[in-house]
Amino acid sequence: MSPSEPAGVGSKAWNVVFSGYFVLLLVYLLLPLLIVIPVSFGDDQWLQFPPERLSLRWYKSYFSDSRFVTATVTSFWIACVVSALATVIGTVTALGLSRARFRGKNVLYGFIIAPLIIPIIIFALALFILFNQLKMTGSVFGLILAHVVLALPFPVLIVSAALQQFDTTLERAGRILGATPFRVFWHITLPYLTPAALASAIFSFFVSFDELVIALFITGRWDTLPKRIWSDLRLEIDPTIAAVAAILIAITLVGITGGELLRRWAMARSANQLSMENNAA
Amino acid sequence: MFSQLNQMLSGRGALLLLAPAILLLGGLFAYPLVKVLTTSILDPDFTLAHYQRVFDRPVYLIVLYRTVQVSLVVTFLCFLLGYPAAYYLAHCAPRTRVYLFLLILLPMWTSLLIRSYSWIVVLGKNGVINLLMIQLGLITEPLQMLYTTGTVYLAMVQILLPVMILTCYSVMIKIDEGLVRAARILGASPWRAFSHVYFPLSLGGVATGAIIVFILAMGFFVTPALVGGRHDLMLGNLIETQINQTVNLGFASALGLLLLATTIAIVMLFRALIRMRVVHEPV
Repeated sequence: MSPSEPAGVGSKAWNVVFSGYFVLLLVYLLLPLLIVIPVSFGDDQWLQFPPERLSLRWYKSYFSDSRFVTATVTSFWIACVVSALATVIGTVTALGLSRARFRGKNVLYGFIIAPLIIPIIIFALALFILFNQLKMTGSVFGLILAHVVLALPFPVLIVSAALQQFDTTLERAGRILGATPFRVFWHITLPYLTPAALASAIFSFFVSFDELVIALFITGRWDTLPKRIWSDLRLEIDPTIAAVAAILIAITLVGITGGELLRRWAMARSANQLSMENNAA
Repeated sequence: MFSQLNQMLSGRGALLLLAPAILLLGGLFAYPLVKVLTTSILDPDFTLAHYQRVFDRPVYLIVLYRTVQVSLVVTFLCFLLGYPAAYYLAHCAPRTRVYLFLLILLPMWTSLLIRSYSWIVVLGKNGVINLLMIQLGLITEPLQMLYTTGTVYLAMVQILLPVMILTCYSVMIKIDEGLVRAARILGASPWRAFSHVYFPLSLGGVATGAIIVFILAMGFFVTPALVGGRHDLMLGNLIETQINQTVNLGFASALGLLLLATTIAIVMLFRALIRMRVVHEPV
C-alpha cells in the first residue's frame, strides 16, 4: 500500500460496500417518512400506497377541523415566542460563558445541557409537580418557559461554537479606536453572530413546535398540535393525520435545511477568518 | 443603564450575562427535580409508602427490567448500525458530506410523533408492506407487524440512530489519520490498524453517543405506546398513566426517581467499564 492512500478502508471495494451500506441506512431512516407524503394524497379511508386516486381529501379535512387548526396556531405562536426567548437568552449566555473566567464553568455548561440529556418524562413530571404547586397548570406562560429551558442548549452550543472562532482582536481594535463596549458589540460582535443566532432560532422553534411530553403533562385542557395528534393517534387512526404529517415533514425539511446551512455558513465564515490570519502570520 | 451594559460586555460584569440562564434553569429545572424527590417521600410527613408499593408488586420491577433491557438492546443496535455510517460520513468527500449530513438531520428533527406514526403507515394491517405483499401474492392475509416488540425496536433504533451517528462523527472527524497511516507503514494490517489505533481513538465518541442514546431510550413512552403491544410498555408509560389518569403524584415521583436512579447507575457502570478498557488496552 502506498503511504498516501487513506489507511485501512481506502480500497475501491470497501468504498462500494460502505456506500451501499450508507444508502440502505438512509432508506431505513427516510423511507417511512417519505412514504407518508404520497399516502396523504390518497382518497381511501384506508391508507394506500400507491394511492389509487389522488385527492386533497385529508388536507381539506385537516384545514376544516377547527380543533386541528386552533392547535396548530397555538403551537406556532408558542414556538415563535420560545424561539425568540431561547435565542436571546442563549446568545447572552454563550457570550457570558466565553468572557467570564471562573471555576466551575464546565459544571455550568453541563447544567445548561442537562435538560436535553435527562429523560424528558422526568423533566415533564418535575414541571407538573411545580406547576401544580404554583396553581399554574394550564398556563401558556409556564409552557413557554419550560420550552425555553428545553431549547436553550441549542443556542448556547451553536453560538458558543461560533464565538470560539471569533477573532477578538476586532473587538479590541474597536475599543482602541474609541468605541464604547456597547458600540463594539452592536457593530462588530452582533453582526458576526447573526447567522449562528438565526440557526439557533430555527432549531429552537422546532424543539418547541414538536414537543409533546411536557405539553401533555402541564397544559391541562387546551391543545398544542403534538398533543392533538397524540390523542388522535391513540383513539383511532384518522387519515387526516397523514396530511398533518406530510405538512410537518415538508416544514421540517425546509426549516432544518435552512438552519443547517446557516450554521455551516456561520462556522465557515469564522474558519475563513482563521485561515486568513494563519496565512498572514 | 448604558454604562452597566458597557460593563457587562467588557468582561467585568460577564457573570451577569449568565444570570438569566441560571435563574431559568434553577427555577424550572433544578428546583422541580428536587421537588420530585421530596414529593416521593413526603405525604405530607415522611413516608416510604410509595417506594414500598413499587417493590410490593412485581409488575413495576418487571417493567423497569424490560425498560432497561429494551434500552440496552436499542443502544447496542444503534452502535452497530451507526458506527460504520459515522465512519463513512467522516471519510467521504466534503462536498457530498454536506448533503448526507442533511439527510441524517432531517429525520432527527422530524417530530417524534410523526416518525412513530410513519411506522404505523408502513407496517399496519392496511399498511404499505402488507398491501404490497398481498398484491405480489406472497401472502393472503395481512401479517401482524404492528403492536409487536420487534416493531418497537425497529422504530426506536430508527429514531435514535441519527444521534449516535452524529456523536460518533463529531469525534471521528478530529482523529488524526496520520496515526492510522503510521501504523500501516509500520506493518499493521488494515484491520489491526483500525482495531488498535482508530477504534480506541473513536471510543470517546462511541461512549458519549451510547450514553445519550441509552438515557433517551430509558425515557421513551410515545413510541412504545403507539407501535408496541400491551407487553411493550416501558416505565415512561406507567409514569404517564400515574400523571394523566390516576393523578398520584407521590407514586409517579417514586417511579420517576426509580427510572432516574437506574439510568444514572447504568451510565456510571458503563463509564467505569470504558475507562478500564482504555487504561488496560495495550497500545
